[in-house]
Amino acid sequence: MLLRRLLPLPLLLVVASVVAFALPRLVGGDTDSVVRAVLRARVASATPDPQVEAAVAAQFGLDGPVVGQYLRWLGAVLRGDLGLGYVTRTPVAAQLGDALAVSGLLAGCALLLAAATGIPAGVYAARRPGGLLDRVLSAVGIAGVSVPEFVLAPWLVLVAAVWLGVLPALGWGGPQHLVLPALTLAAYPAALAAQLVRAETIDVLARDHVRLARAKGLSEGRVLWRHAARLGCVSVTALSGMFVAGLLGGSVVVEVVFGIPGAGRLMYDAVLARDLPVVQAGTLVIVAVAVVAGIVVEVVALLADPVARDREAAR
Amino acid sequence: MGRRLPGVVLAAVAVAALAAGCAGAGSAGGADPDGEITVGLQFPPRAAYAFEADDGARLQSLGVAETLTTVDDQARPAPGLATSWEQTADPRTWRFVLRPGVTFHDGTPLTPDAVVTALGYVAGVTAPPRAIRDIGFSVAADGADAVLITTAAPDPIMPMRMSSGNLGILAPTAYSGGGQPQVLRTGTGPYVLDTVNGTDSAVLLRNDAYWGPKAGAARVTVRYLPDPQTRALGLQSGDLQFAEGLPGAAVEQVRSAGADVAEYPAARTVELLMSQSTLFGDVRLRQAVTAAIDRPTLAAQVLAGAAAPASELFGAAVPWGATTPPPGADLARAKALLAEAGHGPDRPLTARLWTFPNRPEMPVLATAIGSMLEQAGIRVELTVGDYAAQEPDLLAGRFDLFLNSRSYLSDYADAASTLTSDYTCGGSYNLEHYCSPAYDALIQRLAETSDTAQRQALFAEAARLLTTDAVGVMVVHPRNTAGSRGVTGFVPDPLGVRPILPSLTRSAT
Amino acid sequence: MRRWPVACAAAAGVLVVLPFLLPHPDVPDFAAILAPPSAAHPLGTDQLGRDVAARMVAGARLTLGLSVAAVLLTGLFGVAVGLLAGASKGPFGAVLVRTADLLAALPTVLFGLLAAVVLGPGVPALLVAVCAVGWTPFARQAHLLTVRETGREYVEGVVALGATRARVLAVHVSRNIAPPLVAHACLRFASTLLTVSGLSFLGLGVQPPTAEWGAMVAEGREYLFAAPHVVLVPSVAVVLTAAAATVLGRRLSGGGG
Repeated sequence: MLLRRLLPLPLLLVVASVVAFALPRLVGGDTDSVVRAVLRARVASATPDPQVEAAVAAQFGLDGPVVGQYLRWLGAVLRGDLGLGYVTRTPVAAQLGDALAVSGLLAGCALLLAAATGIPAGVYAARRPGGLLDRVLSAVGIAGVSVPEFVLAPWLVLVAAVWLGVLPALGWGGPQHLVLPALTLAAYPAALAAQLVRAETIDVLARDHVRLARAKGLSEGRVLWRHAARLGCVSVTALSGMFVAGLLGGSVVVEVVFGIPGAGRLMYDAVLARDLPVVQAGTLVIVAVAVVAGIVVEVVALLADPVARDREAAR
Repeated sequence: MGRRLPGVVLAAVAVAALAAGCAGAGSAGGADPDGEITVGLQFPPRAAYAFEADDGARLQSLGVAETLTTVDDQARPAPGLATSWEQTADPRTWRFVLRPGVTFHDGTPLTPDAVVTALGYVAGVTAPPRAIRDIGFSVAADGADAVLITTAAPDPIMPMRMSSGNLGILAPTAYSGGGQPQVLRTGTGPYVLDTVNGTDSAVLLRNDAYWGPKAGAARVTVRYLPDPQTRALGLQSGDLQFAEGLPGAAVEQVRSAGADVAEYPAARTVELLMSQSTLFGDVRLRQAVTAAIDRPTLAAQVLAGAAAPASELFGAAVPWGATTPPPGADLARAKALLAEAGHGPDRPLTARLWTFPNRPEMPVLATAIGSMLEQAGIRVELTVGDYAAQEPDLLAGRFDLFLNSRSYLSDYADAASTLTSDYTCGGSYNLEHYCSPAYDALIQRLAETSDTAQRQALFAEAARLLTTDAVGVMVVHPRNTAGSRGVTGFVPDPLGVRPILPSLTRSAT
Repeated sequence: MRRWPVACAAAAGVLVVLPFLLPHPDVPDFAAILAPPSAAHPLGTDQLGRDVAARMVAGARLTLGLSVAAVLLTGLFGVAVGLLAGASKGPFGAVLVRTADLLAALPTVLFGLLAAVVLGPGVPALLVAVCAVGWTPFARQAHLLTVRETGREYVEGVVALGATRARVLAVHVSRNIAPPLVAHACLRFASTLLTVSGLSFLGLGVQPPTAEWGAMVAEGREYLFAAPHVVLVPSVAVVLTAAAATVLGRRLSGGGG
């Protein structure tokens, strides 16, 4: 049943919340050293002062027994209150919200770009497997999965921004700022999509009902593209499910190199500055996104694939 | 010839790009007072512009908030929001007379009560800024145009302390909400902080009602870009008109893209600390390490001129700093000193060398220093790791060699607090466990000296004493860089305590 | 297909022999900083005058060694989990697979960041990060294959002949699902290599001055214009190795089944 497949999802969230809560303790040991870490994160040369430490402990909910701290923290998180950053001192929820909006836009563009290039490439390649076009596309695809972001991004900047001067090298604001980072992020999913779509298309073209349609006089192009449209829908959801969490919180390299205020860079800066509440909240949100994406993909796959739907119903 | 080739190719491509009509704005031509500029700064506001944070001077350097005093080029106190000051009959109290006719960006006037609110707030936070911490600081209004600042003991440098960017004065409304002050449109400076986008960016607008010279641009977009290569590329591509902290190797390239790059000293020293609690209690060993390190090579070759070789703790950024270059390596002397202390080829000295990677030049320097020490017969085990993980051992003196990078001015142009915390017997950051009665006596004299010139002479003397005792090896003083392309008017501030943005003006195209 | 093992062995041999022919990878030469390729330094020198070729080889041993270690560790663990889940009929197997599915959707960088916070940046944190999710694709693949394989007729035949379930799994099923898993391991090696060097590029993995390809790119980025070879060499090394592993993996999964 669908329910049973979805059951582990909330469990993962609970585990993630415990890990996130425990983070400062994993780093700092007992509560006292956590408090000192908070102080050090704020003022470099803080000298130990019990009064200051007590005030800080109360301010960040670090007083009392650990289980109580966890429940209070979880309660606040469920109300949408992710606390204040140790270093940034502003509400983490607002910081993360802004950053996720940026990363979300970027991720959406990258996924669209990946689907728009990867799916047609896969279909075209499948028309004549082993042909010139297939071989060229396959080579491009191998490049797509082999060139890491930290190599691709600087070279794109060099060519498009410094040498040609047609696109901005950095920053965030207008649509022109989206192009290079989205290109960088799309390379890997596009190559993967092309590969998957190619394999499935070859598979489909060999099936009986396609042969029948061809025999009935439908042009090969029509058959191909009708199939591609359906397949595209499924692959895009599958792709999004696979990559959306990674793109929302994991595009650290791209966001650092292009100076984009997204969630990946927020987390990265927070790790370097040891601003643990930001890391805690970011972890939770990324896991939650992955969980939701998992559910959506599961449902869409069921709806789109009649065979699987029947199989589920029969259980 | 082979070496030149890539440059030639790049130049050819650059020419082609220019011919294609993609040229950026040149730096020639007159100034455009209504121009808008985008600048790339190195350090994001980590704590949302909080005054008591490590980077609490950010509002000051943007030209948004101002302090009672500032400093002149000789690092002497100069008028800011206060026009004059004097120590009162009670030497614990200073009287600052406020500048007339100053209004905050929200339209309210600068009054003694506003100053009391602002300084009272920052003195009352959990961990107040270093400039006023632990001195029993209090502030009160005195008549219609002055404030009285009182400390527990007579303080010789109160006007200097007041120049710290951590002590910026905002309008009373900024503090009325409780919690962190509201920084939008509450300063007095040449720029009004109009929008803040977290750690990503901020927008400044010119304050047309400013009491002093008006700011050079109508609107400034500040982008915080921690990645140095990103700043350099931004300048080259024309996305930025001004960027600070360019990577040494990119300077040439940025210049050839048509930018002006200013290089100026920073009030910072990279120091090789030698723990006197472990291996380096013997002064001969410390002198041997000093003699083995070729500082001119480190600065000129390894850092490609991005730093000046250090001969003392203080460098060219401050009037009392040493500017004579240090000697090169003297391997014979280093080996002789090691032999004298009982170490030779059959009984080599083995030392662990620690540093951290947050500043990219540190691992590079540590590698180079390690290889220089090996030349002199000292075995070095290099570890590059997280500073926070090393700090407990460092504070306890449990290390051999530690390469640190430290600013020697703490928040205002006076070195007393660094000289005290880092090198006196009871200093709170005295990692090397150096303890010299003669040095402590010298530092003691600073507490009674208020004349700036005399203090500066004492700072220089203290630095010479440290060099004589071979306390640490002062390796290099990093240089600051700032690139402008399409803007003019950049004034370097080696002291790092004055605003950098207001003088920038867009060139007319 | 027989040429691949030979090629791999040859590459490994080159990595073993080259260090004896090249200068030491960590010793600076201040007289030859950022020198272009020459007879003494076939791929030039970096910002400390260290031999780029020697550093590339030293980096190869570390980068490839870490990637191989991570793939082996995660492969063994993941396949064991997949076999177990594929063989067990109850909810236990389903939960295992779902957990793997979910973890697989989480970005490795997230674990890289968390490990760097807890353990401090370095090789241990890097390995933890790579392994935390690295086992999941193996588990999913092994699970799929096991389910398909145990559904086959011969399995029932073997069981009818009196073999225990465990024996069937260990002997018959494992032997039949091994080839596609080896192909999968090659593909995983490529992506692990990119993760290892990517985390080191961000300063969360291998720390300078140790030679590692990603860290070398990060250190050399500054010299992109002044001495492009410092960045190009490790970049090309990463790309070519990942591409070779990908091609090998695809060949194996396409032709070797």
